[in-house]
Amino acid sequence: MEPITGKALVLACSAIGAGLAMIAGIGPGIGQGYAAGKGAEGVGRQPEAQGDIVRTMLLGAAVAETTGIYGLVIALILLFANPLVKLL
Amino acid sequence: MANEKNTVKDLEKSILKNMLFADIAIAILSALWMDEPMPFLLGLIFGSAISALNFKELAITLTKAVNMPPEKAQSFTTRKYFLRYIVTAVVIFVSITAPYINIIGTIIGLVMIKFIILATNLFNDKKFYKNILKRKEDETNGR
Repeated sequence: MEPITGKALVLACSAIGAGLAMIAGIGPGIGQGYAAGKGAEGVGRQPEAQGDIVRTMLLGAAVAETTGIYGLVIALILLFANPLVKLL
Repeated sequence: MANEKNTVKDLEKSILKNMLFADIAIAILSALWMDEPMPFLLGLIFGSAISALNFKELAITLTKAVNMPPEKAQSFTTRKYFLRYIVTAVVIFVSITAPYINIIGTIIGLVMIKFIILATNLFNDKKFYKNILKRKEDETNGR
């Protein structure tokens, strides 16, 4: 059996790291969906407040969405432009 | 109904306008300080354009979702979020693989909308700074 090289180990750990970083993308999706559901309930209860509800939800959802992008950036950089391999 | 739609559109317009100003400011700074600003500028334009389109799509999604039954709105919004997420993934992948686009510029363009929203709707409010150290339990009405 061939010994595990340093590069192979770094690549394997980077792949695991990328997978873990992608978990960050699930949270905002669930949160946005939950907020939209509650927003729909709110509009059903008070239809005249639709404008305010959508405005507030839009700002919150846009801020939440960038959190998922951070995880995505880390995952893609680990997979396609890994800076750690160059250190070996 | 038309008035409500206008307010959402006004908000979109003001945020996108602020984003354009921030883009121009960063582009000028990068042109002054960087030796080769072109890849960074391309990345910045690419990232902010996709970010603006994502924001517009988010506004359309939420405007539609609030008129749906809650369970349907929840699944609809989550589905749309993952579609936007895939678009963002493609954008980041392209900017990593293409040598003429700087990835840092793309990332700054993609996340700039967050800082614009925070700067124009939270940090410009004096109440936010006043209440930042206040404990909720200390307030008289408990809210």
